[in-house]
Amino acid sequence: MASVPATRSRPARFRPRRTPVPSARPPRRGVLSYWRQYLAISPFYLVFAVFSLFPVFFSLFLAFQRWDGLSDMTFVGLQQFQFLVKDPVFWQSVGNTLVIWVLSTVPTLFGALVLAALVHSVRRFKGFYRIALFVPNVTSIVAVSIFFAAVFSNNFGLVNAILGLVGIGPIAWLTNPWLIKVVIALLMTWMWTGYNMIIYLAGLQAIPPEVHEAARIDGAGPVRAFFGITLPMLRPIILFTVVISTINGLQSFSEPQVLFGTNAANASLGGPGQAGLTTLLYFYQEAFMNNDYGYGAAIVWAFFLLIIVLVVVNWRLVQRGRKE
Amino acid sequence: MELSRRRFLQASALTAAAAGFTAACGSSGSTSAHGKDLTLWYWGGGLSDKVVGDAKTHFAADITLTASSIGGDFKQKLVTTLAAGGSSVPDITGIKGEDMASFIPSASKFLDLNELGFKDIASQYLAWKTKRAQTPDGKQLGFPIDIGPTGMYYRVDLFEQAGLPTDPAQVAAQVKTWDDFWAAGAQLHRAVPKSFPVRNLPELFSIVINQGTKRFVDENNHFIGDQDHIRNAWNTAVKSQTSGLNGKVDDNSWNAAIATGTLGVELGAAWHALDIEQAAPDLKGKWRVAPMPGGPANDGGSFLALPRQCRNPEQAFKIISWILDPENDARGFTDAALFPAAPAAYKLPAMTTGDPYFGGQKTIDVFGPAAEAIPISYEAPADAAVMAPYRTELGNIENNGKSPDAAWNDAVSQAKQIAQRQGVS
Repeated sequence: MASVPATRSRPARFRPRRTPVPSARPPRRGVLSYWRQYLAISPFYLVFAVFSLFPVFFSLFLAFQRWDGLSDMTFVGLQQFQFLVKDPVFWQSVGNTLVIWVLSTVPTLFGALVLAALVHSVRRFKGFYRIALFVPNVTSIVAVSIFFAAVFSNNFGLVNAILGLVGIGPIAWLTNPWLIKVVIALLMTWMWTGYNMIIYLAGLQAIPPEVHEAARIDGAGPVRAFFGITLPMLRPIILFTVVISTINGLQSFSEPQVLFGTNAANASLGGPGQAGLTTLLYFYQEAFMNNDYGYGAAIVWAFFLLIIVLVVVNWRLVQRGRKE
Repeated sequence: MELSRRRFLQASALTAAAAGFTAACGSSGSTSAHGKDLTLWYWGGGLSDKVVGDAKTHFAADITLTASSIGGDFKQKLVTTLAAGGSSVPDITGIKGEDMASFIPSASKFLDLNELGFKDIASQYLAWKTKRAQTPDGKQLGFPIDIGPTGMYYRVDLFEQAGLPTDPAQVAAQVKTWDDFWAAGAQLHRAVPKSFPVRNLPELFSIVINQGTKRFVDENNHFIGDQDHIRNAWNTAVKSQTSGLNGKVDDNSWNAAIATGTLGVELGAAWHALDIEQAAPDLKGKWRVAPMPGGPANDGGSFLALPRQCRNPEQAFKIISWILDPENDARGFTDAALFPAAPAAYKLPAMTTGDPYFGGQKTIDVFGPAAEAIPISYEAPADAAVMAPYRTELGNIENNGKSPDAAWNDAVSQAKQIAQRQGVS
């Protein structure tokens, strides 16, 4: 911070007419003298402080209280976390989230890479393919979820109708605990493959063609070139998409909420057997439907700790790969 | 764009002034008791829009009433606004029946309607309904809008095929208890194999619970969800599964199930008639309704309440008692399928005309007596949350073949934990 911006220090030959303080070094300007700049960027920080920073710490405070949102809070210490450890639904929701995350992230990233390689090598209609593959990502999640719910409906859905035509009996897509997760993961894959494909495509275009040319001259086929050149050079981009997908995947909420949240009379979200109950959905159910804000806050903070553990493991793995 | 210092200062000064002005306006909502501008919050279909419109003109001389139809999660928005306080709190607000119990502990956030004159007209409304919006010490938080007396809807043509009686009076005579219901349901399913008398287990469980006088938590705040009355309701629900009469129809496929005859019988509240009609307009004249087996229950129905910040309690109370007097309450039935909570309305022409969708049947003959016979039960603030695991576990029996005994044990242990979390002993 000590360095003064270059424009402010004048070259010696342009001697200022009036020198206010006869000192060798220009006086250090205090933080306050930059108030205009700080004022100009303040809207973001104010909004951030009110809508992001404060809620984060308030929820930490809430995790040690019992509060229904209206009456007085009571301090309960670590009681909410004691409940949490013994709550089978919480652990089930964590399991659901992780399963859905794996089921969606792996095909998303793999499919995106394949699609990006295909779109990269295609010669005509490049723009069309890019837009067509990206459209799912900008479609409203709610609309897509309603569509998926109709298509995979157990008794009257399109998928079961088609399976029926080829002689396969109706499959309980929206009631079987594993198929529920598959449908949610499929929805997320459908939404995010195009997004990751665009990122990979940008990465592919940044690889200098000379490298590929050299490989071709050395006699490498397209598969060898893909694994020998493309993949290693895409490594930082792949890492980026893994991180982004982890964040998105662990925060899955809207998809199961819309798919299995339509039953107003049933306070339990997440579909039959709560097999589609992700942790964030459980937090929403406890905090905003059962008005148990303290327990809701405990859920998200415990989940935050779990994510930290995951991140540390992830980071360790990446670091080890680097040293080799 | 070059930003000169002068322009920048001007812009900042204007922004600051505007912010200050807004803030000043925001905090000027003092709680003087003679405000002229009142706001009313309800949800789409929560009140008859026509009656609300008429109320605006009726009270235009004294009050400007601004009614807002609030979408999304109504309860959540109301709780947040009440907690935040200030002038954005509505002067009159709707509260859904299923949420009422959870507002009882926050009675201090609302005005006691008895003090404003509700106790003089309370006898016009059904006692069991009024009691649900009352604190243990007798403060009246909610003014009843509508109720949801239940009946048994059935398909005349399918009943005929099965050799069952089709006339509502005869059906009522034959299907009185749940055992009668199983017998008739089995007869229907045998004759028309694609047709089932039960939608799904969780729904049936709720209906049987609503028929009873005790729920999951008693007045002394003790957990009673492991007792016989709950176990009996549970067994009734499970029986539909073990006897093969469960249609396993969920919300997503319900419309199709009604239209295609998968459900030949549908247990539901009076307002449910509209759902059936919308799901299967082609079946006009083929549905009838008879009393519920095992006695009437209530499903749904809402209240109007006055938050403590109400700017003019006396006028606000006049407005709600006008909107909900028996005559206007009956109009709510015509406009929005809101079944009135005032029995006097049941004799008005709006209620007593035959319903063409039900082959001209006067459905009030079923729902009117049902409404007056609904038992008084105590619903604790934590009730909805404590009930949830039972329904989830019934879903597990239905969908994953979980053994009913294991499901019962899991449901009770989870319900106990939720009850403890919510402060129930």
